[in-house]
Amino acid sequence: MTVKGLERFKQDRDALQFAVQGFEQSQSPERQLTVALVKAILDNYNRIIASAEEGKPFIANSYANAPELLAALNLPWYTLSQIPYLPTSEPYILDEIDEAERAGLGTDMCTLIRLGINNVEAGRVPLPTAFIGLLSLCDGTNMLHQAIAHNKDWHNIPVFCTDAPYLESERSIDFHADELRRMVSFLEEHTGRTLDVDRLREVIEESNKQYELWAEYNELRRAVPCPHSAAKGSQAWSVAQNYMVGDRRGTEWFRQLVDITEQRVSEGKGSIPNEKIRLFWFDIRAIWFPEVTEWLKAEWGVCIVMDMTGYAPYTLIDPSSEESMFKGLAKRNLCDVPMVRQVRGTADTLINDLMMVVKDYKIDCVVWPAHMGHKDGAASVGIMREVCRDLGVPFLQIGLDLFDKRYTSMDEIKDRISKFFTAMGLG
Amino acid sequence: MGAWKGENELETTVKSKALQQFQEATETIVNPELKKWIEQGGKVVGYFCSYGPEEIITAAGMVPIRIRATGSTGTELADAYLSSINCSFCRHAFNMGLQGDYDFLEGLVWLNNCDHVRRIYDNWIRKVDTPFTQMMSLPKMTTDVQVEWFRDELKILKEALEKHLGITISDEKLWKAIKLHNQTRRLLRQLYELRKKDNPPITGAEALAVVVASTAMPREQFNDMLKELLEELSDAEGITDYRARLMIVAGILDDPAFIKVIEEQGGLVVTDSMCFGTRILWTDVNEGASDPLTALARYYIQDKPACPRMFDTQPQRSKFVRDMVKEFKVDGVIGERMIFCDLWTGENFMLGGDLKEEGIPFLKLDREYIMAGAGQLRTRAQAFLESMGR
Repeated sequence: MTVKGLERFKQDRDALQFAVQGFEQSQSPERQLTVALVKAILDNYNRIIASAEEGKPFIANSYANAPELLAALNLPWYTLSQIPYLPTSEPYILDEIDEAERAGLGTDMCTLIRLGINNVEAGRVPLPTAFIGLLSLCDGTNMLHQAIAHNKDWHNIPVFCTDAPYLESERSIDFHADELRRMVSFLEEHTGRTLDVDRLREVIEESNKQYELWAEYNELRRAVPCPHSAAKGSQAWSVAQNYMVGDRRGTEWFRQLVDITEQRVSEGKGSIPNEKIRLFWFDIRAIWFPEVTEWLKAEWGVCIVMDMTGYAPYTLIDPSSEESMFKGLAKRNLCDVPMVRQVRGTADTLINDLMMVVKDYKIDCVVWPAHMGHKDGAASVGIMREVCRDLGVPFLQIGLDLFDKRYTSMDEIKDRISKFFTAMGLG
Repeated sequence: MGAWKGENELETTVKSKALQQFQEATETIVNPELKKWIEQGGKVVGYFCSYGPEEIITAAGMVPIRIRATGSTGTELADAYLSSINCSFCRHAFNMGLQGDYDFLEGLVWLNNCDHVRRIYDNWIRKVDTPFTQMMSLPKMTTDVQVEWFRDELKILKEALEKHLGITISDEKLWKAIKLHNQTRRLLRQLYELRKKDNPPITGAEALAVVVASTAMPREQFNDMLKELLEELSDAEGITDYRARLMIVAGILDDPAFIKVIEEQGGLVVTDSMCFGTRILWTDVNEGASDPLTALARYYIQDKPACPRMFDTQPQRSKFVRDMVKEFKVDGVIGERMIFCDLWTGENFMLGGDLKEEGIPFLKLDREYIMAGAGQLRTRAQAFLESMGR
């Protein structure tokens, strides 16, 4: 059966399949964890493809929409922004950015959002049974989901967005918990699935175990030298919130991660042989990251000890009642999920995270990459700079595009960073 | 419609003192009427967005004014805190706050309306000493659940103002304020009615000045002055010398000079979907409701024409523009956007598609808050009119 939008999905799946075969040759336990994650991503691709071809329900989702509920409903989902974010996009991404620009999406809108809209306009994503948008993040994300709902192919696909209050309070959490209940009713109506509270409890209990282990792992990352670069933190997020949500395989993944890391810490092994600079990259990772991180390691002895997705002080959910679970999920959605926690409300959480990471992880310098799409962060740069000044830690703002490496050239990024390190006497 | 005789200035044929006062009010923050109010000991509270609940500020006995950055010439102070990818309105407005231009304010109210403005709150409360500041949580959906939520937000604001000022804002005061602001809206709609004529008695630039003034001075005085202007315009000779009837769709556009440049090319702006336009005047707060806060919440969340940030309103927003095109006999639509605004990038992308399907000419224009590119704007407007065969 030919289903619109599956071609690119299959292409990406095959690329991941090929990559995993290569990774499997490695004896490194860290690499084996990467293999386990990529296999989970592959499973997800296969579930979506099978559901689309067999006419079974599946969901297009954003992130931070209580994926525990989707897992409990046994609904396969894909994330609308995953195509540009997965490394499989690298061969196409620059052409697709140009294509988005030609489609009238301008140049100053967040590139991830432009790519997300354009991928839907170009028919590169499968049409789901229903889709769930995200309103707790930035203006761009709001418009991404509006533009998708506006697309002719998607126009009749049922859509639901949970509204997210701006300020942090019990009232906000109660409101959002009710929004999640309405989301469940919506999903039940459009997919024919029913939420079993006992199954939700199992999922939440399992995810609590994952977050406990993640917290343990993040404690270990405080060690000097840092046992891993920030990439593992991003993987942890992918496991817990995207591809092994409330799944025993995910818990096992975290357990192995903690074991491996304990071993490294006890042996005093760092992620790089001679750690000189402990850097906090205060944003998500760039698609072109390997090029810069390899240079940072080799040239300056930099370990990126933490980034935004890796720092996720998730709170555990009380599974004792349906009410406590929905409230816990609401709090997780609004206050815990990376990016959402720093972006959704006032700058207070951003400041607190900055202070905690600098202190707890013995950070030598903070780099705010200043991605062209992160307008709220761009308007917090003075606050960040002053916080860092008070903490006595050097702060660098670059100005780049996490998805388009032409925006600021690699040479320029490297030059800015080198001058910063030199001026601050680092490395 | 007369034949276009070349570049000249469209303007009303009426010599109106009220209109002149409105136009002057757009050129400054503290206009003579506001100055008089302050000198008499009156207090002023600013707000940042068309969702700012000005009725509550009025009910508290103060004058609500919409924050603008009129008169700003630079962003040197603000640039230490914001970035070059932040919208220039925010940079200029915050710069004015830092240099003390808004020191006359008793208070300032924000809503999380967009990524740029909401962060001005974070910076402002750290760097500018304004006695009363409040951030309100504005929903992004428009169902009854959100009406209820926003009612509580209004109640929180009301109670915070009561505490700050040591007063009680009774339901009676709220209803009185609602009636006053509804009267402003009704009068403004009468002005828009005149613009439906084949020969409107007022230009788009002049009408924008009136709407801006409606957010910048004590409302009683404004209403009296607008009544005077409406009287003067009622039997005025209309404008005939234009090439096409245009509609502007935009977020914050408070500078009549921008429209004037377009009108200098012969494109008469007859209506809009703007924050200083129909978005604040097209509907009234329901005066027949039992609870004033619920009536206000319903107005802001469900009844007034929505901003693109309200997720579930795109079909209504698009329909509103298409209906206005018919009602005002519009020949072409200009979608104006502040550079770096993701909300309006998305909006113009969707609206452009919708209008194209209906064969309505649409021009996208990007701009900075301070009008610097008049030449480019002139060229684009000219080309747009020519593309419509006008």
